[in-house]
Amino acid sequence: MGQFLQFAINGLMSGAIYALIAVGIVSVYKATKVVNFAHGYLIMFGAYFYFTFAVIVPQAAWAPAWLASWQPDWLVAAKADAPMFSPLGAVLDWVSNLPRIILGISGAVIANALLGRLVERTLMRPLMGQSIFAMIMVTVGLISILSGASSIIWTADAAFVPHIAPNTPVRFSIGDTMIFLFGADLVNMVIALLLFGGIVLWVRYTKSGIAIRATAEDQSTAYSMGISVPKVFSRAWVLACTTGAIAGAILATRNGVSPTLGLFGFSVLAIVLLGGLDSYVGVFIAAMSVGVLEAMTQWKLGGEWAEIVPYVAVLLVLLVRPHGLMGSKEVERI
Amino acid sequence: MTMNRRAFLGTTAAATAALGTPMILKAQPAEYIIGASLPLTGPFATAGQLVAPAFTMAQKLFNDEGGVAGTPIRFVTEDSGYIPQNSLANYQRALASHGNNLVGYMADSTGAMKLMAPELKGANARIMGSTSFASELADPATHPYQYVSGPSYQSQFDILLENIKAEGGTTVAFIYSNTEFGRDPIAHGRATAERLGLKVVLEEVTKPQGADIPTHVTKLAQSGAEYCILQGYVTGVWPQLIGGARQFGLPTKFRGTFWGMEKIIADRITEQAGPFLAGYEGVMPYRYFWDQADAPRYQTYAKYAGEMFAGTPLEKYLSTWTLQTMCGLEIAFKTLRDTAEAGHELTADNLAETLAGISDWDTGGFFGGPISMVNNAIGTGRVYAYDPESGLFNPTSDWLSV
Repeated sequence: MGQFLQFAINGLMSGAIYALIAVGIVSVYKATKVVNFAHGYLIMFGAYFYFTFAVIVPQAAWAPAWLASWQPDWLVAAKADAPMFSPLGAVLDWVSNLPRIILGISGAVIANALLGRLVERTLMRPLMGQSIFAMIMVTVGLISILSGASSIIWTADAAFVPHIAPNTPVRFSIGDTMIFLFGADLVNMVIALLLFGGIVLWVRYTKSGIAIRATAEDQSTAYSMGISVPKVFSRAWVLACTTGAIAGAILATRNGVSPTLGLFGFSVLAIVLLGGLDSYVGVFIAAMSVGVLEAMTQWKLGGEWAEIVPYVAVLLVLLVRPHGLMGSKEVERI
Repeated sequence: MTMNRRAFLGTTAAATAALGTPMILKAQPAEYIIGASLPLTGPFATAGQLVAPAFTMAQKLFNDEGGVAGTPIRFVTEDSGYIPQNSLANYQRALASHGNNLVGYMADSTGAMKLMAPELKGANARIMGSTSFASELADPATHPYQYVSGPSYQSQFDILLENIKAEGGTTVAFIYSNTEFGRDPIAHGRATAERLGLKVVLEEVTKPQGADIPTHVTKLAQSGAEYCILQGYVTGVWPQLIGGARQFGLPTKFRGTFWGMEKIIADRITEQAGPFLAGYEGVMPYRYFWDQADAPRYQTYAKYAGEMFAGTPLEKYLSTWTLQTMCGLEIAFKTLRDTAEAGHELTADNLAETLAGISDWDTGGFFGGPISMVNNAIGTGRVYAYDPESGLFNPTSDWLSV
């Protein structure tokens, strides 16, 4: 039972990140009916922006020394007394990194939001009124642009970034089994869940959120009711890119920064299809289920199966419910 | 029509020139070509982009040394994206473009080498090195034209397991990526562990990038392994696994093979996450580039790199990945030169014969002493440990032969 819980929690932590990635795809789809195949690459840009502001900028010759590593006297003294790899040591290391982590997150969110705005204004808005298929194809083309641009700007070099939260180990016993968790992963999960919940509430209860839902229902009617549909499009892309920036930063802390981060978007697309392209709740359930299923498969069957079993399950569910777990039946598929 | 003596001689001279010139050109090419596929994009682009400049340096160095019996050599490199089919297509294009002037090829993965092996027949055969240490390639009976520029992954596992046994270890875990490269030595390692009396308590497969670190570390913790060998990674996963294990407080000692032994990656991890790679050890077939005192060839590289790569990170340090490519190119160059100097045509069969016959070769310091090609591989290496303080991998064993 203890081991089951261990892997279930690991799976939920992965699932929360999947949900945070998926929320961007659903938001853009709800507002524009466009399935954004390039979302993984926007997340990759978020990860690179985090790397830029949390690693490259603080190390620049002109940056103040405290930005790269904050070392007030009390912190230096406390670190000297803390044993290496102790929980306290991890927290103190994190405190030293805090200025650049804050700069990294803020910079990534702002830069990715600007990128989202740029993509929407230059590539998507000119196609308004055209076939949705054309817009979807543009997102496919965007993959090549973003992938090539990242190689030019940051090269294909692998790099590493500081954790967003202290990566202290968390240990507790259930029965005879010791449960191990990473502090940073727990915090990442909480951040992902709070953001996901916040977006769902925003879409449901705020004026801007209702405008997105109305536009999703019928663009022409929304227009005639005084809703600025271009603004709704723009908001959806910016929302997807800002959540994508945080998802990218979290992924970068777990896996390092490299061009392969873009590929995450494709596995999450399967999750979005499972949950239903236009359903936040459905996608949340799907993301958590796939996360847990992956962890359980890894535990019981090993890594060869962990990459296959969850997606076979996705296919089986889609055979029974082609519109996903909670997606609207009239959703057009590509 | 009647032909007088002058017309006959003129026609004969023209015919001889027309027919003979190509034969002369064929016998004496203006240059020899060695093609190469590199992962300049894709998951291992970091390594590919660090390796690419090695070809520029090798071309200048080899030509300064007289080329292949006076004929200059040129390298033609293309991106593969680490996709074996792309490497095969690159090779076929190089054959079509350069014909018999193409005398060798460097592939970029185990998968590419295995995919290309059946193509190396008759007129399409060329000698072929690669970035791979795959055990299957170290077999002249099945892969006569392909060679491994060091010990195979199986041999590297043998070195590590014997080292673990010598330290008094009893349990070991294998964590490896779900790639050809990752899986290569696992079955052999299992057998070696059994022979040595070591218990393999965990065999864990991960994604090559973006692995679920908490789950893998949890399984490692539950296995209680004293040692863990990591296989099939280049820039990612292996540092995160070690970091995760250290955060958990696991006492497991980590070991790696060639592609997990690069200082650049270890330094970057140390800079961002602290000194948790302290004590990490692994097999390196070659000396590291800073160990130049007994390596005259490295001193030559340092001179060339200083001139050719001034202002770039390569000016002072050549990565392990770059050295591996240089070693592969040195083997190809020696094979070509020895074959040409022996007066033989540079056909794949002649080159394969020379390659298989390399013995007691002084590489100028790549290895601890003169080496011989045995089964088209070089079965020697040394165990190094990373020191986060100095940022150096220091030897913890003598040169070992397998």
